[in-house]
Amino acid sequence: MISNIILLFLAGGVPYYFFLEKSDKFSSKSIFLVSGFLLLSAVVLTFFIDKEHTTPYVVISFLSALYSIYKATQTTNFYKLGYYFIFMNAPFFILFEGQGAFYSLSLLVSLLGIYAIASFYEKHYGSANYLYVRGITLATPLVGIHITVYLITIGLYPPLPNSLFFLTYIFNSQADLLWFIVVITLYFGNFLVSMRVLEKSIFGKTNPNIHYIDLNFKEKVTHFTIIMLLALLSIYGMREILLWVL
Amino acid sequence: MEKIILLIPGIPIFIAFILFFVRKKELVPKISIMLSSMIALLGLYGSYYVISNDRPIVGFDGLLIYNQLSAILVPYVAILGLVIRKYATRYMWDEPGYKRFFVLLNFIFASIYLLVMSNNLIVLALAWQLMSVGLYLLVSFNVGSKTAVKNARWTMYIHKSADFVFLLAVILTYQTFGSFDLVVLKEKWLIMSANPVNDPMIFAVGLLYLLAAMMKSAIVPFHIWLPYTSEAPTPVSGLMHAGVVNVGGILLNKMAYLLILTPAVLNIAFGIGLFTAIFASMLMLVVPDIKRSLGYSTVGQMGYMIMEVGLGAFSLAVYHLIVHGIFKASLFLESGSIIKYARKDPPITERLSYNTFSKENIKYKSSKTFKLIALFTIVPVLAFIGAKAVLAPEFFEFNAAIVILAFAWLTGTQLFLSFFKVSKLDSIKAIFGIIGSFVLVLFSYEFIGLSLEHFLYGKDALLFYEAATLNVTLVSALLVLSLIMITGGLFIYKRHFVDFPDNGDKPNKSKWSFYKLLVKEGYYFEIFNSSKKGKL
Repeated sequence: MISNIILLFLAGGVPYYFFLEKSDKFSSKSIFLVSGFLLLSAVVLTFFIDKEHTTPYVVISFLSALYSIYKATQTTNFYKLGYYFIFMNAPFFILFEGQGAFYSLSLLVSLLGIYAIASFYEKHYGSANYLYVRGITLATPLVGIHITVYLITIGLYPPLPNSLFFLTYIFNSQADLLWFIVVITLYFGNFLVSMRVLEKSIFGKTNPNIHYIDLNFKEKVTHFTIIMLLALLSIYGMREILLWVL
Repeated sequence: MEKIILLIPGIPIFIAFILFFVRKKELVPKISIMLSSMIALLGLYGSYYVISNDRPIVGFDGLLIYNQLSAILVPYVAILGLVIRKYATRYMWDEPGYKRFFVLLNFIFASIYLLVMSNNLIVLALAWQLMSVGLYLLVSFNVGSKTAVKNARWTMYIHKSADFVFLLAVILTYQTFGSFDLVVLKEKWLIMSANPVNDPMIFAVGLLYLLAAMMKSAIVPFHIWLPYTSEAPTPVSGLMHAGVVNVGGILLNKMAYLLILTPAVLNIAFGIGLFTAIFASMLMLVVPDIKRSLGYSTVGQMGYMIMEVGLGAFSLAVYHLIVHGIFKASLFLESGSIIKYARKDPPITERLSYNTFSKENIKYKSSKTFKLIALFTIVPVLAFIGAKAVLAPEFFEFNAAIVILAFAWLTGTQLFLSFFKVSKLDSIKAIFGIIGSFVLVLFSYEFIGLSLEHFLYGKDALLFYEAATLNVTLVSALLVLSLIMITGGLFIYKRHFVDFPDNGDKPNKSKWSFYKLLVKEGYYFEIFNSSKKGKL
C-alpha cells in the first residue's frame, strides 16, 4: 500500500497539482525536469519494492490522468505538454508496476526529445509555444522529422518503443474492467494529444514574418542521440515481444 | 536460397534509410525505382517457387510466410509500387518535400508487404498499425493545406480505431485459441469446423476482425475518410484506392478459416457489404465532385468485396481487389493526361469506339435501346445459368452464384460505358458491345475466380461457401439480384440515356427527399456537426 502511495506521488502528478501548479516560483521548464526526475525515481524504485497494485490507487491515478489529458489539450507549450504526458501515463505505470518500467523509460526518452525541442523553440523563437511557429515541416524539415518521431512514439505507433512495450504488457496481462478502462483511455489519450500537437506544430504554411532556424550541430547530435536511444529501446522491445511470442 | 524472398518487407525500409542520405534530387526516384524493381523480381520468383513447388516459404521462426496469398498479392503490390514511383518521379518534382514523399511511400509499402507476408498475429498487428501512421503522413503530405490536414485527421481517427479493434481481436484470439501463429490457428480452426461451434467468444473475435477490416476498407459507416482524402497527391490517391483499402480484404482472407466457425459474422458481412455497395454506388452517381465520386466508387467496390467475403467467396474477393486496384489506379494516374487533353481540345478526344459506333448515328431512341439492352442482357444470363445447371448444379447451392451474376452484369455494363460513348446512340452494335462486355466479364470472373479459388484454398473453398450460405431460398437470393440489377440499371439508364425535362415541374416529394438524402451523403456531416454543436 505504501509503495502505491509513493508511486502515485512520484508518477501521478500529485506534487504538481497540489503544490507546483499554484506556485509562481517554478517555471514550466523546471516542473518538467522535476516531473521527469520523479518518474525516473519511481522507475528505479519499482525494482526494489513490492509489486502489487491496489485498485483505489489505480483509480486515483486514472482520474488524475483524465484531468491531465484535458489539461494537455489546453496547452500549447512543449514543456507543459511534457509533464502532462508523464501524468497521463501514470495509471499504466501503477497498474503494471515493474512490467511498466520499460514503457515509462521509453516515455522518458521520448519526452527528453520533446524537452530538446522545447529548448530549441525557447532559444530561437522566444518561448516553447508551438502554436505560433507553424510550417516547421516546410521551413526546417529536420526539426519537423524529430517532432514527428517523438510524438508518434508517444502516440503509440510501432515500431517505436512505447508501442512495443505497451503491446507486450497488454498481451501479457489478464484483462479486467479496470484494465480495459485504463488501456483504452491511455491508448486513445496519448494518441489524441500527440496528434493534436503534431497537427498544430509541424503542419501549416510557413509564416513569412518568422525567421526559421534549423538545428545547429550540437542540437543535431543531441537529437541523434535521443533517436538512437529510441532505436535501441525499439530493438529491445521487439526482442521482448518476439521472445514472448515464440 | 528461397528464404531471401522473406526479406521483401525489409527492402523498402532499407530504401527509405538510403534515401535519407541522398543529396541529389534526381537520384531519389532512381534509387527508389531500381531497388523496388528488385522487390518485384523477388516477388515473381517467390510466386514461381510457390506455384512450382506447391509449398510456402516460411522463415524468421515462422513469423513470415510466402504462401499462395502472398504469391498473388506481393507481385501485384510490387508492380503497383513501381508504377506509382515512376509516376511520382515527375508528378511530385516541383512539390516541396520530394524526398520525404519517397521515404514515406517506401514505409507504407514496407507495411503492406509485412501485412501480406505475416504469419503471426503480432507481426500482423505491427504492420496494421504501421500502415496507419504511414497513410496519415502521406494523406497530410500537402502540409500547407488546412483541408488536407483536417481530412488526414479523420483518416487517422478511423484507422486508429481500427488498430485498437484489431489489437483487441488479437488479444481475444490468443486467449481463446492459445496461439499467435496463423498456420497453427488455421489447423485448429479447420478441426473445429468439423462440428458446429456455438461459442460467443469466437463470434466476438470474428466480429472484431470484420469490424477492423471494415474500418480500413472504408465500409459504411466508416467510409467517410476515403472520399475526402482526394486532396492528397495523385500517386497517394492511386495507392490508397488500389492498395491501402484492400487490406481489409487481405485480413479477412487471412482469417478465412476462423470465419467458417462464425457463419453469423459472414452473414453480417454480406448484409453490410450489400448495403455499402448499393448506397456508395448511388452516392457516387449523385455527388457533384468528381474526386469524391471516385472515392465513393471505391467504397462501393469495397462493399462488394466484403459482400463476396460474406458469401464465402474469399478468393473472388482477392481477385476483385486486384482487378479493382488496377482499374482505379489507372483512373487516378491517368487523370492528369485527360485534363491535359481536355485543356488542349475541349471535346477531349474522339475515341476509336466513338468513331466505330456512334459517329454516323445520333438518332435518339433511348427508351427502345434500353429495353433492347435489358432483353439482350437477360439472354446470356439465362444461357449461363442453363449451362451451369447442367454442368455444375452445386453452383446454385451457394449464394455466391447470385453475386457472380450480379457483378458480371454490373461490371459488364460499366466496362462498356467506360470505354464507349453511348449517350446518343441507338445502334445494334452497342447492344452487342454490352453483351460482349457482359459475357467477357462473366466468363473471366468465372474461370479466373475458379482457378484462383483452387490455388488459394483447394477443396476447403466449399467449406466457406457452406458456412456462408444463408438459410434462404434461391428465390429470395434472386430478389437481391433483381434489386441490384434494377437499381443499377435505373441509375445507368438515368445517367446515360435520358435527358431530364426542364419544364419547371417539381419532382415527386419522396423522390426529392431520396435525392436529397443521397446528395447530402446520408446527412453524415450534418449529424456530426449537430452533435458537435450540442444539438444532439
